[in-house]
Amino acid sequence: MLTINNLVKRRGTQEILSGISFEARPGRVTGFLGPNGAGKSSTLRILLGLDHATSGSALIHGKPFAELQHPLRTVGAALDGSGAHPMRTGRAHLRWIACAAGLPRSRVEEVLDVVGLTKAAGTRVKQYSLGMGRRLGIAAALLADPELLVLDEPVNGLDPEGIRWIRTFLRQRAEAGNTVLLSSHLMGELAETVDDVVIIKQGRIVADGTLEEVTGSHSTLEQAFFALTSEHAGDLR
Amino acid sequence: MRALQAELSKLFSLPGIWLAFLIGILGPAAFAALDCIAEKEDILAGISTRLPEVGFIGLGFGVQGVILLGVLAVSSEYVTESSEAGHGQQITTSLTAVSSRLQVLLAKAAAVSVVSILLCSLAIAAIVPVTRLILGEYAPAMEWTRLAGATLYWMFTALIAFSFTVLTKNGMIPLTLLMINSSLVSFSVLLAKVTTLAYYLPDRAGIDMFMSMSDAYHTPLAGGLVMLAWVAVLLAIAAIVFQRRDVGA
Repeated sequence: MLTINNLVKRRGTQEILSGISFEARPGRVTGFLGPNGAGKSSTLRILLGLDHATSGSALIHGKPFAELQHPLRTVGAALDGSGAHPMRTGRAHLRWIACAAGLPRSRVEEVLDVVGLTKAAGTRVKQYSLGMGRRLGIAAALLADPELLVLDEPVNGLDPEGIRWIRTFLRQRAEAGNTVLLSSHLMGELAETVDDVVIIKQGRIVADGTLEEVTGSHSTLEQAFFALTSEHAGDLR
Repeated sequence: MRALQAELSKLFSLPGIWLAFLIGILGPAAFAALDCIAEKEDILAGISTRLPEVGFIGLGFGVQGVILLGVLAVSSEYVTESSEAGHGQQITTSLTAVSSRLQVLLAKAAAVSVVSILLCSLAIAAIVPVTRLILGEYAPAMEWTRLAGATLYWMFTALIAFSFTVLTKNGMIPLTLLMINSSLVSFSVLLAKVTTLAYYLPDRAGIDMFMSMSDAYHTPLAGGLVMLAWVAVLLAIAAIVFQRRDVGA
């Protein structure tokens, strides 16, 4: 369970998050949607202990990230790009993470296989395409088989086959009882994948509910999204 | 311990680390060989005043290998992937793999210390046979206390480079300043001509741990303690900044 509670983030005079609250529950894929610059990545970074909140809380199983005993076994995260040094090979990147989590090297080969990077494992990350980098990031997130997954724009840069792969994969994770939170600004790609939807606009939550609730009377999630995030949209919560 | 293993694994899978090994091992050996050849005549005639320095001068130069090591250990975390690759940075992975930032920093500092001790030991193992080969029975005795001093000097220098880079995030500034300072123009040696306070700068104080120079100011122990104090203060500042800083800032 991921719980964001009245989260505020200010940087200088700019208010990036204005007291947002939502939850991501086990067994469900929660889509955290919003235009670029709405505060999605800031929220995820605070949740993962990368940025500090001005006030409010972002909790993982009721605890802030810094208090987790086994972070990799609890929450797997894939943020921007691959999250690897460009001069390291994909395999070397996963190996140091496996070291940090106390996992055997055989697990590295398993996740490389899951994300389809076995053949490219000995290649330096700088030679990877955007899609391969995303797969490496997801491999790192999966390494310790965590109950929770937090993915920032996971479909960005993936080809149609990659997008299909990630949809199937995320559904399987959720159906196995895991919690999946993913952010995206691409509505069309996600409508088939998510159970719950949280829409953020300029640091405020403008919609929060199941896919059906948020889509409401609109024909698609995408239409609902534009209606909610356009300049004159009211707060429908 | 796992965090330390992870940091060692990171260091050894970074191609730049081999340049640090090259500079840190071959550099001192080559420098010591050139110095032995230049001084050989005076040493054989028994008129050399630099006998105690011969060999050790290579260790003074080779410290650049560990400067590179200390800088790379941190700057590699902040190397940003190209825009086509999604602007990622390894630091996000590092900080989501271990929940305590202090633990990440200490593990990294410990890995840098371990590798710099290894590097200095290898440099010593290269220098001793080189000086014996060139100077034969005239080769100076390399007392273990001075060798230990040189090893500490390398470790402390690596940690200063490390702390400095935590503050800048980018390797260029610390690398340029520290490498110029330890090879071309020593800021502290120049300043020492103006004020004796310069003898308390970390590189100048630390060098008294192993170089028996005519202008030695500190005893080896005092020099080591002064340098250690600098390391402790810089590491503490680096830890505070690292703890408070937003990755996304």
